[in-house]
Parts: sequence; structure tokens; C-alpha cells
Amino acid sequence: MGKLDGKVACITGGTRSIGRGMADAFLAEGASVVVNGRDEAKGQACLAEMAAGDRAAFYPGDSAKQATVEGLVDFTIERYGHLDICCLNSGGVVNTAPVAQMTDEEWALEIDWNLNHVFWGMRRALQHMIPRQSGRIIVTSSVEGKLGKPGLPGYSATKHAVNGLVKAAAQEVGTLGITVNAVLPGLVETDILRATGPDSAIAMGVGSYEALLDLFAQEAAIKRLNTVEEVAAVAVLLASDAARNMTGCLFPVDGGTMPY
Amino acid sequence: MGVLEGRVACVTGGTRGIGRAIAEAFVREGANVVINGRSEEKGAQALAEMGAGAAATFIAGDVKQREACESLVDATVARYGRIDILVANAGGGTGHAPVADLTDEAMQDALVWNFWHTFWTMRRSLHHMIPQGSGRIMAVSSVEGKVGKPGISIYVVAKHAINGLVKSAAKEVGALGITVNALCPGAIETDVMKAEGPAAAAAMGLTYQGLLDLFASEAAIKRLNEVEDVANVAVLLASDAGGGITGSMISIDGGTSPY
Repeated sequence: MGKLDGKVACITGGTRSIGRGMADAFLAEGASVVVNGRDEAKGQACLAEMAAGDRAAFYPGDSAKQATVEGLVDFTIERYGHLDICCLNSGGVVNTAPVAQMTDEEWALEIDWNLNHVFWGMRRALQHMIPRQSGRIIVTSSVEGKLGKPGLPGYSATKHAVNGLVKAAAQEVGTLGITVNAVLPGLVETDILRATGPDSAIAMGVGSYEALLDLFAQEAAIKRLNTVEEVAAVAVLLASDAARNMTGCLFPVDGGTMPY
Repeated sequence: MGVLEGRVACVTGGTRGIGRAIAEAFVREGANVVINGRSEEKGAQALAEMGAGAAATFIAGDVKQREACESLVDATVARYGRIDILVANAGGGTGHAPVADLTDEAMQDALVWNFWHTFWTMRRSLHHMIPQGSGRIMAVSSVEGKVGKPGISIYVVAKHAINGLVKSAAKEVGALGITVNALCPGAIETDVMKAEGPAAAAAMGLTYQGLLDLFASEAAIKRLNEVEDVANVAVLLASDAGGGITGSMISIDGGTSPY
């Protein structure tokens, strides 16, 4: 018996990295999972690797777009009959730029990708979950939701913002059998990081991508990065019945980086 | 295969309440567990109820005594060959009063019972865990380690102190394969709550039921937490998958704490 037998989940940014880790972990616990991503080829490769038959599906689209996020929720409900677990996981850094140099377009995209995506998905999912009086919303936030590094003003602002949204929403639906939580990972080496890290390193003045990884590792008490599996294990807990009394929690998976 | 197969745990205040639930969860996951308490009778009863055979052992001792804390940890190692997990769970508070009326004795007692016991068992456990290169230390703190209710400052202070110790110690041993975390549960109606709640309520100008209602009203879930809520998080932290979580104050409080 898995911890998530019969449960249905959807995950933005679910084909790779943290979202994929959550998807794999949920499947292993008996759930059905719809993963979303921008790249059709990656999506199909993901399904093939998961080899979960009817219990996995791919919904393509850019989670910085409202239609994609709402469409993911609607597609999941139509495909599997209901939605139990909504993981709003995708996101990232558009450009590592200091505030004084950040453009309107970069800022707007950060807001859409990291914050509005979470709102759109949360709202759509809650509209389904509230009449059912049952559900789990899990937001992938970040240590940057409590810290503030130079060069990451949009990422930090939006991760602080989703923390606030999680707390407020949790208070609203606390008696309706729905929990709303965030996981706050420290740095995890994801595809997004490999893609944007080199530029981030230069913009943050640390010279190289390897130096960037090392900087984050040194900030953690464990002196290493976190892993996809560590984040996924927390997501499984939060998604399960065992965590029915945990809500509004900003759950750290950061190797001792954040001060609170 | 449980996630804690072959691990050895020591749980202070493990015969009832939160500690008991944690001990039972650890046993289910394949660990050997030493539970501690002051009463031999309650210890024997707990073992009988747990039905865990050789996987559970009771060692009597008063965690308000340094020697008892240290010998408890050493006895765990003697009994099962090692110590992998410490849960410094025992605690409480008596003599609650607003600060203006508080006695030295009440403050001191709460600090010894909650904070010093955590320090003593943590220090002794680290002596074993550091050469071992692995370990999991958990302190059962409280939502009161993050917030601060009027009338129960002795408890608030002790739990805040525990959180500080956790943060500092975690940074010291982070690269040594040892994690140190604080579990911060919301109110749970354990035997300790039933025993001390009425006096705490009186110090806050409430009836006992009024106190429970207050706690429930402050949570998003509008009800109290349960011992299993804490046990589930403890299992995660104790497992290999929890190796990336340290120095954390994890809220298990139904949406009560603001951070």
C-alpha cells in the first residue's frame, strides 16, 4: 500500500529536476500524475522513462501563461476524474540582474513565472477542491523566499510572495480538509540551474558556475547542495493523509541555510 | 523494509504522548528504541503496550538530572551498540504566571526540564555521533518556540532557547553527517497537557477548555494537533531522505506560527 494510493496529482515543471522527482516519488506511492513542461520531446521522454502506463500523462505548455496553468488543472480533472494534489513547482531566474538594471520585461516574466503561475494554479485547484473538502496544494518556494541575494531581486521577491500566498490561503481553507504548504529547498542542481547558472555566476560576481555552486554549498551547514530526492520526500509527506494537520508550513529542505 | 532498519534511537519522555508516538513510529520503521521516563510502572506499561519485544527498552531516569541524561545516552549505546537518533522530547512547565509574578524557581525548573535536558542529551549524543560520522538529533520544541503567549513565558523561553541551540549545533556538525532539528508542534492534548493545562489556563485567566479552544482558534485547522503529526515528521527527519534538513524549526501546528 502506497502512501498516495488512488490520489491524483499535477505538477508544473514536472518532467525534470525537482518536479520530476516529485512525480517519480508520487508514482512510487501509488498516485497518478500529470506532469507539465514546455518541451514536447522532454515530456514524451519523461513518460517513457516513468513507464507508469495509465497513471502518468503529459500536459504541454509554458507555466508562465495563465492558460497553461489553468489548463493543466482542468486537464488533470478531466483525465482522472478529480485532483487531490496540486504541485506548483516550476519557476526560476529570468536574468541575474541587480534592481537598477532589471528591465520591465524581465521583471514581468519573473512575476508571471514564479508568482502568478502559483496563484493561477492555486485558484483553479481550490475551486475544485473546496466543494470536495479535500486537497493538497504544495508550492516549491526556495531559501530565497526568506533570504535576499544580490542579483536575484525578482526571484527573491516572488519567492517571498508565494510564501505569503501559502500562509494566507492556508488560513482560508484550514477547516475544509485542504492543506496549503511550501517546500523551501536550498540550491539543487537542476537543468534550469545548469542553463542559467553560468550567467548568474558572472552577474553575482563569483566568477564561475562551479564557484556559484560552491558558494551555495558553503552557506549550508551540510556544506553540499540539496538533492531532488530530499525535496521529493517532503512533498510525499505533505501530500499524504499523514500531514492532514500540517498547513501554512514553509518546510525547509536547505541543509541549514535559512536563519528561520 | 522500514526506513529506519537497524537504527538505534533514544527518546526522552517516551512512555506517553508525543515521545511514545515517535518511539512507536520508529519501531514500525525497523529501529531499536530506548524510551525514558521517571516511572518504572509507566515504563513497563508502555513496553507492554508497544509489544515490540527486544526492539524497545525502558530506562528510568529524571531528565532534570544531568547524570540521568548522560547515562541514558550511554545506556542506549550499551544496550544496542550505537546511537543514531536522539529525540529530546521530555518537557513541560509548572508554576506558570505572568512575568511580574513569576518565581525564579518556576523559570529555572522549566529551563532545566526542557532546555538543559536537551543540551545534556545532545552533548552526550554528539560524543557518540561525531566519531561515528552520522546521527540525527531532534528536539521537541513547540509553536511556543516561535511565538509567545502571555502567562506561559517559562515554556516560551525554554522552547526559544532550544531553537537557538538547534540552529547553532546544526552548523557545527553539518558536514559530519549529523542533522539537528527542532520539531515545533502546536497544542496537543497529551497527558502532560491535561496535567499542566489547568494551571497554565489559570495563569492566562482562562478555564482549561478555554485554553484548548484558544489554541484551536489560533490554528488554520481550528483544532488541536495530534501526536502522530509529530511522529510522521520525526520519521522523515530520522531517515536517509532527511539528511538534507538541518538547523530547521519545523512547524507542525495546523497553521499557527507565522514563520
